Amino acid sequence: MNLFRSVPLWSLRFAALFLLSLTISQAQTASAQSAQSKKGAAQASTPVLNKYPPAVVDSGASLFQQNCAFCHGKDASGGESGPDLTRSKLVKDDRDGDKIGPVVRNGRPEKGMPPFNFSDSQIAGLTAFIHTQQAAATSRKGGRKGVDVADLQTGNADAGKQYFNGAGGCSSCHSPSGDLAGVASRYEGLELEEQMLYPKNAKAKVTVTPPSGETIKGTLEYLDEFTIGLIDPAGVYRSWRTSDVKYQVDPSLNAHVELFSKYTDRDIHNLMAYLQTLR
Amino acid sequence: MKFVKTIVFLAASALVGMQSSSLMCAQGVNAQILLHPPADTWPGYHGDYSGRRHSALTEITPQNVKNLSLAWAFQTRQTAEIKSSPLLVDGILYFTVPDNIWAVDARSGHEIWHYTYPPNKGLHIGHRGVGMYKGYLFFLSPDAHLVSLNAKDGSVRWKVTVADVTQGYWTTMAPLVVGNHVLVGVSGDFDNLSGFIRSIDPETGATQWQWDSTPPVGTPHQTTGGMTWMTGTYDPDLNLAYWGTGNPTPVLNGTTRPGDDLYTCTIVALNPDTGKLVWSFQVSPHDTHDWDAVETPVLVDADFRGEPRKMLMQTSRNGYFFVLDRTNGKNLLTAPFGPVNWSLGVDPQGRPIPNPAKEPAPDGRLIAPDEGGMTNYRSPSFDIKNGLFIVDAHPSWSIYFAKPADGVYGWAGADYDVWGKGVIEAIDYQTGKIRWSHYLGPEGSGAGVLTTDSGLSFTGDALGNFLALDSSDGKTLWHAGSGSRIQSSPITYELDGRQYVVTSSGSVLFAWALPPAN
Repeated sequence: MNLFRSVPLWSLRFAALFLLSLTISQAQTASAQSAQSKKGAAQASTPVLNKYPPAVVDSGASLFQQNCAFCHGKDASGGESGPDLTRSKLVKDDRDGDKIGPVVRNGRPEKGMPPFNFSDSQIAGLTAFIHTQQAAATSRKGGRKGVDVADLQTGNADAGKQYFNGAGGCSSCHSPSGDLAGVASRYEGLELEEQMLYPKNAKAKVTVTPPSGETIKGTLEYLDEFTIGLIDPAGVYRSWRTSDVKYQVDPSLNAHVELFSKYTDRDIHNLMAYLQTLR
Repeated sequence: MKFVKTIVFLAASALVGMQSSSLMCAQGVNAQILLHPPADTWPGYHGDYSGRRHSALTEITPQNVKNLSLAWAFQTRQTAEIKSSPLLVDGILYFTVPDNIWAVDARSGHEIWHYTYPPNKGLHIGHRGVGMYKGYLFFLSPDAHLVSLNAKDGSVRWKVTVADVTQGYWTTMAPLVVGNHVLVGVSGDFDNLSGFIRSIDPETGATQWQWDSTPPVGTPHQTTGGMTWMTGTYDPDLNLAYWGTGNPTPVLNGTTRPGDDLYTCTIVALNPDTGKLVWSFQVSPHDTHDWDAVETPVLVDADFRGEPRKMLMQTSRNGYFFVLDRTNGKNLLTAPFGPVNWSLGVDPQGRPIPNPAKEPAPDGRLIAPDEGGMTNYRSPSFDIKNGLFIVDAHPSWSIYFAKPADGVYGWAGADYDVWGKGVIEAIDYQTGKIRWSHYLGPEGSGAGVLTTDSGLSFTGDALGNFLALDSSDGKTLWHAGSGSRIQSSPITYELDGRQYVVTSSGSVLFAWALPPAN
């Protein structure tokens, strides 16, 4: 799936970046543009390098160092708590800052990223810097920093299957022909391993019983000590004071947490090897 | 005997502390105010020098805290989150975000002045606040300068360079003022740099001394790092300043720095007049997980297993709770306060023994806690009445990677959080056992803890609710939704006979009080 999708997206990205460079690079001549894009087409892995005016990249780099580097690293390849942007799908899919801009401006409060009140030209600079870094990192074949799919191939698939059906207890909730059919086509590498260890974006099912006795099932949307909110089957958000209702959050995700203290690193690598056979 | 005398002295000074400093017609702070903060002050980052973040105020009680309501709110109108602890001196609060200081009337939330530092290339990750000496404020900038300002109007007295921003240093901490020393520390994890604590003359800005936490950059087989990015504590009787140092660099790859990597991830005791190291205790020998030991070194005088002790306690980022004898640095207790899977146990000196099999690796290692650690810069609090060390904890798991292509400079690897939660834990300091815990929500909370003599713990949950808990059992007694993440530690003070609790969330400062009697 990833491979299937990456080809058309990649070429779209290239086209978009070319357009972006046209809009922000008034100083450059049309012939220079053309020469650069030909060079980019010839070296497929480095299409973006030199396509942004250095002044725009530099201003983006400076803003990035001041505001983003702590979490995402000075070279955008990951720092404290923030993901490696040079391997980010959102960055790959971004055109003209259309994906990066909203994330920067709105933040990702659920992941601890605050919003930043940047102007359009500042977003353009950040976008130029991040894309430039991504292109540079991608071109470093063989010696690339960060987590490659190839790094995660140290396990044994048979042992992983055994763990899945045995000690790990995975098969009590999951099935290779059911929910996990084709999982290795939906995710790969680090993303697959993260999903395997704990599916962060999974929404828990919840059942709420108000004093009236009528039970409402839905997807848990909000829960603190004082308020519970769910999205009901009709897609409507409903909430109650926790003191007024009984509620039960589906505990199946806890099985992932319980495994953390039981796994050996080898178990994890074996499970990864097994999951990667489920294409 | 000396210990008993100290207790009497401390008790007497606590009584003095309850009096109002306004009687003294104070202008700024003096040594007496810093040593024994009056009830209507909060003159340093931690309040007093002990780092206990505990107040003797008792107007707000477990019985009446349900009536706590908003006295005022102050909006910075900025996107930067408030991570500072305000100072309160002469009825004025001083607090910060990177590049910004505000002076705000503690009675009304009215802005008196707002200082803006010029645009600069330093890292703007956060800011913990200012330090004060006489009528002067001391502010560290993202580009690693120390600025001294006049507290009355925010005008700049002088500015000195603390470290070179172009090498990769930045500064965020609130300076610690001890006598005529302004003690400052530095940050800088993305380059291989030496950490240090520097003492600066509050009048002139001149350097008095500097203590380096690691050998000069380029020393073969030696570590760099050991950043000093949080405010230390101080014992006036022993005349020792206590400071935690940060992780070694390269951060996730330890191959170029074999051995313990002194003095990284270490609690150090320095003579504040000379900068001489008196003792040290390393909480994470040869760290490869970014677990700074900069968390507040909390100073407590109490019995430990039947014997009166001068102690230093720390809930460290690496997941262990430490109790030391702060006269000599000898370990009294080492106990995990959440899941920890990176050590082979504890050595005879009380130091965790790192497990080489849990160093970051090309195919990943599952590690508890995560890189943010079991706790972080948020302040814990010590409640002597209940004998509890109360901390915002973060039980968590993550995967750590490092391979040759990641190099041996700066971060030198990658780590990814897998799962975590926030919990307030009340640790029995004599056993390390958790007496009660209070769930705060998924991922974790950035709120610190303040305790009061009336038996209250103020903090915040992972979803932005301010909380007041019963310190004896952790039950929720009051809450208020704040609308944003909480990233600071509460303070409290008494003005005009009324107790205020000041908290922040997002870019807003909130002052809470009981409704006036009339």
